[in-house]
Amino acid sequence: MKHILLLALVSTFAASTAQADLLAIRVGRAETVAKGVIEHAVILVENGKIVTIGEDLPIERGIPILDRPEWIVVPGFVNCYSRLGCDSDGGDDMSPDVKASDELWPQAEEYAEIIKYGVTTLGLYPAGNGIPGQAVAVRTKAATKAEMILQDSVYLKVIMRADASAKKRVSDGFKKADEHAEKVKKAREKFDKDKEKKGAKKEEPKKEEKTDEKKSLQEPAVEDPKPDEKKDDKKDGFVPPAPDSKAKAFVDLREKSLSALVSINSAAEYLHWLDVLGKEDIKWDLRCVMSLDSDLFYVANKKEWDLDQDGIGDKKVHVVMEPRLTLTPGTMRSRNLAAEFSASGAKIVFIPRNDSVNDHKNWLANVGEIVGAGFKPESALHAMTLGGAEVMGVEARVGSLEKGKDANMVFLDGAPFEATTRIQAVMLDGKFVFGDVNQ
Amino acid sequence: MILIQRLLTCCFFAALALPVHAVPFQDEGGDAKKDEKQDDKKDDKKDDDKKPEDRWFAVVGGDVYTGTGAVLRGATVLSKNGKIEKIDFDVYMPPETKTLDATGYRVYPGLVAISSQGLLGNSGGDFEDTIDPFNSRMILGLATGITTTGSGSSAVKLKRFSVDDMVINDKIFSIFSWSNRSPRGKYDLREKFKNTSEYLRQYREWEKKVKDQKDLAEPSKKNVDGSCLSVLKGETTAKFVNNDADELLGIARLAQEFGFRPVIEGAQEAWTVADELGRAGARVILTPRDRRPKSELQAREGGTSIENAAILHRAGIPIAIVPSTEGVDLGGIAGRDIIHLPIEVGFAVRGGLPEQAALESITITPARIMGVSHRVGTLEVGKDCDLIVTDGDVLHYKSFVQYAVVDGKQVYDKERELFYAQIRPRPVAAEAKKVDKGETAPVKVDPAADAEKKDGEKKDDEGKDEEKKDDEKKDG
Repeated sequence: MKHILLLALVSTFAASTAQADLLAIRVGRAETVAKGVIEHAVILVENGKIVTIGEDLPIERGIPILDRPEWIVVPGFVNCYSRLGCDSDGGDDMSPDVKASDELWPQAEEYAEIIKYGVTTLGLYPAGNGIPGQAVAVRTKAATKAEMILQDSVYLKVIMRADASAKKRVSDGFKKADEHAEKVKKAREKFDKDKEKKGAKKEEPKKEEKTDEKKSLQEPAVEDPKPDEKKDDKKDGFVPPAPDSKAKAFVDLREKSLSALVSINSAAEYLHWLDVLGKEDIKWDLRCVMSLDSDLFYVANKKEWDLDQDGIGDKKVHVVMEPRLTLTPGTMRSRNLAAEFSASGAKIVFIPRNDSVNDHKNWLANVGEIVGAGFKPESALHAMTLGGAEVMGVEARVGSLEKGKDANMVFLDGAPFEATTRIQAVMLDGKFVFGDVNQ
Repeated sequence: MILIQRLLTCCFFAALALPVHAVPFQDEGGDAKKDEKQDDKKDDKKDDDKKPEDRWFAVVGGDVYTGTGAVLRGATVLSKNGKIEKIDFDVYMPPETKTLDATGYRVYPGLVAISSQGLLGNSGGDFEDTIDPFNSRMILGLATGITTTGSGSSAVKLKRFSVDDMVINDKIFSIFSWSNRSPRGKYDLREKFKNTSEYLRQYREWEKKVKDQKDLAEPSKKNVDGSCLSVLKGETTAKFVNNDADELLGIARLAQEFGFRPVIEGAQEAWTVADELGRAGARVILTPRDRRPKSELQAREGGTSIENAAILHRAGIPIAIVPSTEGVDLGGIAGRDIIHLPIEVGFAVRGGLPEQAALESITITPARIMGVSHRVGTLEVGKDCDLIVTDGDVLHYKSFVQYAVVDGKQVYDKERELFYAQIRPRPVAAEAKKVDKGETAPVKVDPAADAEKKDGEKKDDEGKDEEKKDDEKKDG
């Protein structure tokens, strides 16, 4: 009923405004990723957003209809880990303040190519080893930089290796955040003293506040005092000093306004990451490089090999990985690490096997191979869409077919992971960017 | 305070020139200090974590070769939080104890390789930050029975599934060179020791006097060599790599003169000067299968001897044994690399070394040399629960390590790892499914069709046969 009402409402509105950007799409099936499968789905798109989606909804007269009962629609694909179209080089050092958004080039040919393969959102990270900086989520078709950016600072890329320097970079970062917390504390004390001098009236309640704050400030590493502080700030006008550029990213990590994407190659590097992370409470996900003889299965979960620490699955983090089968080291016996991680509780996020246009072309087929080897198809679709959006914190905008989300869609002529399935059309922000669609 | 005490006692021993007595002191001194440190750490942890639950682990039913000479047949080794709590018969075990059944097998202390390469990962230092506890060479090391290894100047445990607390001593050796080819070098080293020991003597006097005369200047550290100082203080062990009898004698005299116990690696001609080395309190790291001819110009005995270890043992010299190749090396001279450590020891036994001494040469003796004998090297209450379970005498070429345990946690199971699982599998494991959880299952073959094939083409390759067997078992 609601849907019908909405449709009617929208349509009347649309009729009055010369039917600006309104389109109803009727397809055989919609795999929404977030809300299951809808057969005979009708999707209403207006101004680049999905206004409503449901089964067999009646469509008001006057609204243009795209009727493709033989098609299946899935959300636009999200590759959260790429450097397509970026050509700068990075160093080996620590530069958490660098942003990939500074080097965007919307006219790069690669984007026009990969959009044909259904990729509507990319996560571009800065070049370099060590801690190279912060990634940006972008649309794959845009005229200007500003239009291209979906959201900036979506994750901090951290390359973790089993060596002292890699671990030191991380611990140094948190040390800088500690120093900043110390600065804020001092500034706060100074501010309070000044205030005491100025106004004697408010003295009594002020003192209480101060003691509270000191308590919370005593453990800057475990609990960040800033959220509480901010509330106070608004009351009494205290402005904390801004962190310097290198400390900023780690301060943001602690505040959880930024997440870390930690790149590891081996099981040892996972344990070293946990070791250096210690008791820091931050939001982090993993980028696991799938080398042919990857030993990451050792740390899939705590139980299997009786680990001292929680395994990747126990942490329930996202694992950004290539759709590739690996081998048990030293043998020719294949392993499906995606299935193993998934069974252990991790959330799988697939990216193309390599960061080239051609691998974007084969992306769907390559994920299909993993599905063929026992990975659940619904998880696989999630891993190509919403999973990547979650890693970048843009899951409210893209990654699934839901009311209110960006109208990024891929239209297929069959089930997503069937070998014979081809992409028929691609929609980005409510506009067809690929496919022959004469309504 | 500890430092001063150690300094005093050290000098005392130096004056007596009785280095044989100095050993227990050196080891004990070092150990006591470390234990204190650990206790502190533990206390801190307890305060932080609200006492984590105790971790109990027991190896039951095996013949326990403690490494101290005792054998307890069918005894239980019980560990609590990685330390051995009890070795006895009919032991009470808390209900949450994880047990490992070693019935019919032997239980030995984990072997100690005094030097190795690659078992801990690709790095040579910073083990806390670089260890790769999943690398295949570590598994091979454990399959050999090695649970502790020296690497560079550190003693590190082969602790899988963890990157914490595997370094037990990270400052073992001060390495010196002593060569007949460089008389100047020998002179310089002697001078260094002379100056340093003179400085120590002055320092000791100053320490006494400074209590009364507070403004007395501390003796100058000019000409004092850091390595020599740490050796004379008993903080590190002097290590030499030498083979010639002449050089070995020179080292023995130097050591006696300045009162320290040298460790000599190589020591191919040591059997010709065993008495002198014994009197100097030397300890030796040797390879029984080393070969080199005697110099033709020399009338007296020389060259290598398979009896080297046995002769040195009779002279009271502690021996640690290593194979000729420190890494895992299957190309070239296979059988002489680190994964053949017990085999190498077998050659010392062939040369006349008693079996108990042979076992000690890869357990407690290297542990003592590295100053970690308070933690590893034998199975004793209070030490780390690092042990191996073998299906026969550990020195026998046919024996396999079935399980390895480090810090009261099973880290190796022959049936579970790739390398030796197929050779004489344990009766129970042979029936179990071979494909592990994460691997994709082999394609199921129709038994009827399979039988037809077998009739048709009997010359199937090995791999296919194995697969079929697996399938048959599954079906059954």
